[in-house]
Amino acid sequence: MASISLLNPKAEFARAAQALAINISAAKGLQDVMRTNLGPKGTVKMLVSGAGDIKITKDGNVLLHDMQIQHPTASMIARASTAQDDSTGDGTTTTVLLIGELLKQADIYLSEGLHPRIMTEGFEKARDKALEVLEKVKLPVEINKKNLMEIANTSLRTKVHPQLADLLTEVCVDAVLCIANEKQQPVDLHMVELMEMQHKTDTDTQLVRGLVMDHGARHPDMPKRLENAYILTANVSLEYEKAEVNSGFFYKTATEREAFVRAERDFIDQRVKKVIELKRAVCDGTDKSFVLINQKGIDPISLDALAKEGILALRRAKRRNMERLALACGGTAMNSFDDLQEEHLGYAGTVYEHVLGENKFTFVEDCKNPLSVTILIKGPNKHTITQIKDAIRDGLRAINNTIADKALVPGAGAFEVRAYNELAQFKDTIKGKARLAVQAFADALLIIPKTLAINSGYDAQDTIVKLTVEDRLSPELIGIDLATGEPMKPTDLGVYDNYIVKKQILNSCSIIASNLLLVDEVMRAGMTSLKG
Amino acid sequence: MALSVPKAPGVSQMLKDGARMYSGLEEAVYRNISACKEFAQTLRSAYGPNGMNKMIINHIEKQFVTSDAGTIMRELDVEHPAAKLIVMASQMQDAEVGDGTNFVVVFAGALLEAAEELLRLGITTAEIADGYEKALNKALEILPHLVCHKVEDYRDVSKVKEVLRTAIMSKQYGQEDFLNDLVSKACVSILPDEGTFNVDNIRICKILGSGLAKSEVVRGMVFKRFVEGDITFAEKAKVVIFSCPVDIIQTETKGTVLIKSADELLNFSSGEESLLEAQIKAIADTGVKVVVAGGKVGDMALHYLNKYNLMAVRLNSKFDLRRLSRAVNATVLPRITTPSQEELGYCDKVCIEELGDTTIVAFRNEGKDSRIATIVIRGATDNFMDDIERALDDAVNNFKCLTRDGRYLPGAGATEIELATQLAAYADTLPGLDQYAVRKFANALEVFPKALAENTGTNATEIVNQLYLAHNGEKGKNIGYDIEAETAATVDAVEAKIFDLYQAKFWGLKYAVGAAATILKVDQIIMAKRAGGPKPRQAAGSDDES
Repeated sequence: MASISLLNPKAEFARAAQALAINISAAKGLQDVMRTNLGPKGTVKMLVSGAGDIKITKDGNVLLHDMQIQHPTASMIARASTAQDDSTGDGTTTTVLLIGELLKQADIYLSEGLHPRIMTEGFEKARDKALEVLEKVKLPVEINKKNLMEIANTSLRTKVHPQLADLLTEVCVDAVLCIANEKQQPVDLHMVELMEMQHKTDTDTQLVRGLVMDHGARHPDMPKRLENAYILTANVSLEYEKAEVNSGFFYKTATEREAFVRAERDFIDQRVKKVIELKRAVCDGTDKSFVLINQKGIDPISLDALAKEGILALRRAKRRNMERLALACGGTAMNSFDDLQEEHLGYAGTVYEHVLGENKFTFVEDCKNPLSVTILIKGPNKHTITQIKDAIRDGLRAINNTIADKALVPGAGAFEVRAYNELAQFKDTIKGKARLAVQAFADALLIIPKTLAINSGYDAQDTIVKLTVEDRLSPELIGIDLATGEPMKPTDLGVYDNYIVKKQILNSCSIIASNLLLVDEVMRAGMTSLKG
Repeated sequence: MALSVPKAPGVSQMLKDGARMYSGLEEAVYRNISACKEFAQTLRSAYGPNGMNKMIINHIEKQFVTSDAGTIMRELDVEHPAAKLIVMASQMQDAEVGDGTNFVVVFAGALLEAAEELLRLGITTAEIADGYEKALNKALEILPHLVCHKVEDYRDVSKVKEVLRTAIMSKQYGQEDFLNDLVSKACVSILPDEGTFNVDNIRICKILGSGLAKSEVVRGMVFKRFVEGDITFAEKAKVVIFSCPVDIIQTETKGTVLIKSADELLNFSSGEESLLEAQIKAIADTGVKVVVAGGKVGDMALHYLNKYNLMAVRLNSKFDLRRLSRAVNATVLPRITTPSQEELGYCDKVCIEELGDTTIVAFRNEGKDSRIATIVIRGATDNFMDDIERALDDAVNNFKCLTRDGRYLPGAGATEIELATQLAAYADTLPGLDQYAVRKFANALEVFPKALAENTGTNATEIVNQLYLAHNGEKGKNIGYDIEAETAATVDAVEAKIFDLYQAKFWGLKYAVGAAATILKVDQIIMAKRAGGPKPRQAAGSDDES
């Protein structure tokens, strides 16, 4: 072939039909891997990293990230799925499945000679129609605890076992409701800190209305538990720092040197003194106590002075915790101790230290009106904790999406079935070969209820027939009940999906699928090396 | 690596080079089960008082001879992902209870073995995992009813001895009474009037030579060091503890001595000396007899310390300093100042002792104040002493749990068989497929008396049979296997005083089932290529530095 000679002899390439075959097979392959993960009855996968660390997950996004995919097409799909996760936090597995299925359906027609361009045009039309259907079926919801619980529960049940999911649902919803206030829209999920503690079992995970920090007081004599505490958050160094310029002392006698030693420390001592004075001013004679949380260091001598006063001092707090502290306890983070006032202080009902082997945790709890909370994740081992962490993140996102959308879509494959039926009717209004593409799109959508049924151990065809028939007869949406395999109304069981998730899936899947269909050549540049 | 144009379709070719992927029953589940089974088999022979020792040589060529499951697992460096899950469960047990690590491994192994049979019968992994979890819930429900002994007063040495004996016996069969005596005394003696018992307050010091029978409990602390100065003995001494070096104080910024004439030079050094002397004299004047430093003791300072008859001890670890401060009730001072009376500690006797060819500095406190006790172990080889240390460690952890929850279950396999009997009855009431899993769960519990019997060299089947017979009777729920009998025989665990911690069994069951269920639920394993290069170093301890 003439074109070969134009390429570097080391370049790899695939053309036309071959390129398409590669893309389609990759999409199908990825779909095969991810298929078993979908839905609450999906199985889990174990990932072992190069260093031997174990990860056990069901989350599509985590899986795609850690699988180390090298195939160009597959990594493209994986990226689409990651984008899905970034913008909505859920629906990653669905994305992969849908792309795979779209290509699979398209393949049938393409092998009969249909041009990919016509296929993609049809996909676009079908997508627009599907989005229309989505607009029609979305249910506006009121933001209250019950509704949020339902959506969070649906999302979490696909990630962890039901018992834990129910527990986490409550935790997530409470956390979001706690930090969401009228003024501040949208909700900043960073204000929910996720702290992990390798301890006890996964069902001990709890919501702390305050802050948990993963370090403790650095002085053995500091109090371990304080009640009614003032919290001073600061970013002031309380340790000796060398001068920036090259400096030195000149002295003649040892007594002079003694004086220098004292003078050298003086400015730090002054700062400590200011804190102590404030503590005395606000706490003396009351049952209040005092906590200092500093982002910079505190050296042993300062610690000692603070400990003598019964002040609990934490040093090197994380930067993001400083912001959270101010939100959780009130008060202002101080950058200097020059003008300390009582109103700069925050308040917490209890502050205590929890020691777990070599790790110390400090709990700041019982705040008056916390706008920042912590979800304390507990689990017997690392992989359980990571699993819970990923699940919580998705749960929080699902709640957040609902608050932003103020709308939900019935879950359990209901939307897909309805869209299938609508598209089947829509198909007849289209002229020409694009009609076939609309049919392909409609068929592809059914992969979601199909997979849900297969994962729960039911017959796919059986379920689909039942669902589509039922859906035509009912004005309400019909989904699959995974406990029985029979059609049911998702609204009755409280199974909901996020509107934005579905919207994003429809959009990104059809685009990626179209992109892949239109590829007619895959090549890789040959290595240019001097040795030739 | 850059992307390349692939050739053959399939999932595995989409992964990076060297990555492996196993999926489905045959490849993933059975492989996992057989790996775990093998692993559990290894540890099973180490279970119980008659368990065999294992000789392990770890990656840095250090040799271990032990039957302690925790140590075996730590040093074996298990790589198989599924087996690693069991190891992690066992490590959690170690962190939570401090004993019963082998229980977790053996039980998880037995559960998986039983699961394999069910899988071959066509029951799905999800159903088995569900059944196991159901059985676990039932077992945990039954467990509190099996409690046969309760320690109310953990300050009573004889009561404590009664229950710690079993834990030590499983590690050091034959020496349990002697060791028990040491541990019980040490633990009870340092119990604070209020607050919790801290495992860290029992120190263990191993000194080569002599025999185990010469081991003793020192109330206070023992360090394998020598004193800095000439004074080697102090009685009824006040102790001051500094976390800094005892020497001339230096400025943090570089200092230069500005000297203009020979006179000044002379004056400078004499001034320095007198300053230090004044400082040390001031310390001596407060009545202090022992100075403990966290850093170097300077030559000049040492001279004055000797002059004022102060004993100087240097400790390198700041944790040791803190412990000592607790032991003698002193405050650690961050810089050289004259201590106030409250900051001083008190110790009955500080002296140098020679044990074998090792010299130790002992801080003995016979009074009630001491919060730390040290068990000095003597023995002929390092290996032997390490093993004793592990046994003591378990016993101390047992004591910790005892102070929190004094409930005990009958040992010698009695609890397990009783659970098995009741679970088997429970399985009969279940309608669904999970009853098979529950029944297997009950069968799996038999592994404990079996392991005890096998390790002792008696017929396991006969024992299990006898035990079931006894447990089906009216008053048989405390009947366990008698390891001391020549032939297969049973014994009442309560009468023989074989007690297991309730907490250990509770968490052990929980973690073992958790691990087994997780392994069963995995249907696909994707392994990345092992990273090359040296292994990452173990994370060091906390970054504590103050």
